[in-house]
Amino acid sequence: MQSSNSALSWWRKFISDPVRTFGAVSVVLLALLAIAPAKNYFSEWRHYQNGYLRLIRNRGDAVTLQRHVQPGIQQIWHPELGVTDRCTSCHVGLKEASLADVSTQPYRKHPVIPHAIDQFGCVMCHRGQGAATTVEEAHSSTLAWEQPLLPARYIQSGCGQCHQKPLDSTPVLNQGRATLARYGCVQCHTVKSPDGTIIKATQDAPALSHVADKTTREWVYAWLKDPQAYAVSTTMPNFQLKDEEARDISAFLMANSTPVVGDTAPETAHKAADPAAGGSLYGEAFCSSCHAVQNAAGNLVGGNVGPELTHIGNKVKPDWLRAWVRNPRVYDAATEMPHYRFNDQQLEVMEGFLLAKKDADLLANVHLDTATPDQIAHGKSLVTEYGCSSCHEISGIKRPENFAPELTRIGSKPVSQLVFLERMPHTLPDYIAAKIRQPRAFGSGLKMPQYTLSLAQIDSLTTALLAQNERAQTLPPALMAPNAPASHYQPAGKAGQLMTDLACFSCHAINGRGGDMAPDLTWEGSSVQRQWLEEFFKNPNTLRPALIRRMPKFNLTNDEITTLTDYIMTVYQTPAFDRDSLPATGYSPTEVEQGKQLFYSKYACQSCHIVDAKVDKGYIGPTLTAVGSRMTGAWVYHWLKDPQLLRPGTVEPNRHMGDEDAKALTAFLMMQKGSVKSQGAKK
Amino acid sequence: MAKTLEQYFDELRGTRVWRSVFRSGTGSSPLHRSLVIQQNVFFHLFATKVRRRMMSFSATWYLGTLTLGTFVILVITGILLMLYYHPSAPQAYADTKDLQFVVSSGLFLRSLHRWSAHAMVFLVFAHMFKVFYRGAYRPPREFNWVIGVVLLLMTLLLSYTGYLLPWDQLAYWAITVGSNIASAAPFVGDKIRFMLLGGNLVNANALLRFYVLHCMILPLVAMFFIAIHFWRIRKDGGLYSLQSQPKVAAAATPLTPAKEAQ
Repeated sequence: MQSSNSALSWWRKFISDPVRTFGAVSVVLLALLAIAPAKNYFSEWRHYQNGYLRLIRNRGDAVTLQRHVQPGIQQIWHPELGVTDRCTSCHVGLKEASLADVSTQPYRKHPVIPHAIDQFGCVMCHRGQGAATTVEEAHSSTLAWEQPLLPARYIQSGCGQCHQKPLDSTPVLNQGRATLARYGCVQCHTVKSPDGTIIKATQDAPALSHVADKTTREWVYAWLKDPQAYAVSTTMPNFQLKDEEARDISAFLMANSTPVVGDTAPETAHKAADPAAGGSLYGEAFCSSCHAVQNAAGNLVGGNVGPELTHIGNKVKPDWLRAWVRNPRVYDAATEMPHYRFNDQQLEVMEGFLLAKKDADLLANVHLDTATPDQIAHGKSLVTEYGCSSCHEISGIKRPENFAPELTRIGSKPVSQLVFLERMPHTLPDYIAAKIRQPRAFGSGLKMPQYTLSLAQIDSLTTALLAQNERAQTLPPALMAPNAPASHYQPAGKAGQLMTDLACFSCHAINGRGGDMAPDLTWEGSSVQRQWLEEFFKNPNTLRPALIRRMPKFNLTNDEITTLTDYIMTVYQTPAFDRDSLPATGYSPTEVEQGKQLFYSKYACQSCHIVDAKVDKGYIGPTLTAVGSRMTGAWVYHWLKDPQLLRPGTVEPNRHMGDEDAKALTAFLMMQKGSVKSQGAKK
Repeated sequence: MAKTLEQYFDELRGTRVWRSVFRSGTGSSPLHRSLVIQQNVFFHLFATKVRRRMMSFSATWYLGTLTLGTFVILVITGILLMLYYHPSAPQAYADTKDLQFVVSSGLFLRSLHRWSAHAMVFLVFAHMFKVFYRGAYRPPREFNWVIGVVLLLMTLLLSYTGYLLPWDQLAYWAITVGSNIASAAPFVGDKIRFMLLGGNLVNANALLRFYVLHCMILPLVAMFFIAIHFWRIRKDGGLYSLQSQPKVAAAATPLTPAKEAQ
């Protein structure tokens, strides 16, 4: 009471003297006003710039470094891109190559990238708030800024905004985009490139209209319940179906299936197949170039073009399998599987070998009663509800349009529009990654299935999706680096039919269409000698001993070989030079000797190639011991002059050879006709 | 003998230049003091004589003066902010951010403007309540009360138009809501809204319109009414107190004001 009274009286006295009051208020005001310029002076960026000056003061190249420093706020400004980046105000030494040893931020030098540091600014790739001049505002997510710095593992999404074509330096982005297409994400979600093309799935799920010919209802049930239990590498996701749901869907699929004429071949007689013979036939046919099998150690061995075959015996009906291996195109005209010309004995061996690949426990506990019409009808509604026909062709059910949300601009979706899980960082990359990792965690009513993806795959998918953003869609056209348009090349005539039948495009690319497992054949006619090609079709031997995958032997007839060879030699010619402009033989010994010198000394070709199998150890490029009986002289000559011109992207370096050198080397190489023994073996 | 400081000042006041600017010369008679007040446009806003009691804090809590003070701060900081701001849709938000990031003491400037604006609205209301509860609106001050109400309206409109200028989400939706409220007026509601926004949506037109209103039209109108407001204080007999009430007006009202507590 006393104190409050005295305080009151003090206050009365204080305000009763206007001069004193005015003076006191003025002093307080001045002090408050001084805070503003003081805060301005002690700003973060100035602190960091002073720190940088202290850092470089005692270095050997201090004078050079100091000359590069410009005091004050720095900015990279590209109004046409919407870039105003002031990051360089604190990150002073970004461009200083000599700061390679500095590891403290913000002074570290920027790693070498294909673009100049200030060509596009920082935010294009790193995100964050470029205009900000404080660490918190620039790096973090704040009330007035939703995009914090992008974690380094997603950084390649920046490249993907302009570059739609796969780049050597963006493996994560490439993997993400490949996964997006391969795992069927784009079957349900529409994803468009900035040029407007819709990204297409690279792997078509099998049609289910005739599934009853191929497999049993029990297998379909087990598969639906857990696809990865049958094949660990399958891209089919787990829909986490209840038992009744799997029962009803399998009932519907079986009831809905119609038979295909000729796709089952009744067995004439069962002979116990020799497992060793099966294994060697499987090996000779190079099935493993496309199909993987899990070995005893649990590792997958083989390619991923065709389905995994570890437990194939659990799945297929024997009659169907035999018909399929005999000619897969009867059951599925568009399959990537080649039509091997196996004879009946080989078919039997192969069938026995494949059917033995089974896991006795897989279907042991599956017991299904005969389906009722109600179950079948329910199965049909479930198939529609889960969007099965987005990926699988199912007769009687239309492929749904826009089944899932479009993801063309997912990489710039405002965080305020996202619903996060509890205890989850509120950033867009975290949201996308979590959504891929466990889609159903975001709500029990969601239809997106559970994928089996590694962390690296999830990161790469997230990277690819982050590249799908507003900026990518609105780039100035000059900056767009679009993908090559999809090629629908189809060779004509009888040879064309044969090439479809043999599924050449599953491995080889021609005129922009086809796989990348085997060499591009667009200019094969200019490249090889006719005789060699014919021999090769009869008995494909390897050109690259270091590679496991090889061209399989298709058991072609002589007529078929002639048709193919004629077509290749006539049509697949480069316009760059005449195939017959240089002879295959008859070079002068002086030239050959000169070429040999160049090969071994000046150009040191033996580091990658083998000419003399006894001496040379180069395994990177193809073996050249018989190159003279394989390639045309003109091809060798022009290849030496400029390899990238003939095959863009080849690892063969361009040595900028003069005409003289190239000619001499051609002479030397064309004299490498292979040993008499191997020539004899070929014939 | 050295001159005193006062003598120096007197000498200065006597010079021709001084006299050309300030017409009252030296002297300290009551007449001279009155003339000093009367002949200066700024001093003349006030009554020639003010009771000492009315200058104390408790009489008015200085609410009117404080309101004027915030208005002056708002004009000064507002003009400075205009130097850094483009009223265009792509630029406005970036400019607001740049005030924070690169303009020297820009954040201080902007904060000062914003907080002064909030303070001014608060002070205007407080001022009105004080006037109301003290009965200072009564004759002959009714018209000045009306002017005051107009100034309240100006203050609110200035506050509302300024709210859009940062061009952020808060601004956008506040103005969307506000203009929708305007459109609820009977018969002419939609026309008012269209006129306010320069269109049917809050977009670049609305931003430009609000900028012109906020920086030009409304401040000029407010200054005009502030001038009248001050003029009327003087003409209505200075700051209100019981004793200052003119006899005629006091006779005209049958009500006897409550006796002030000392």
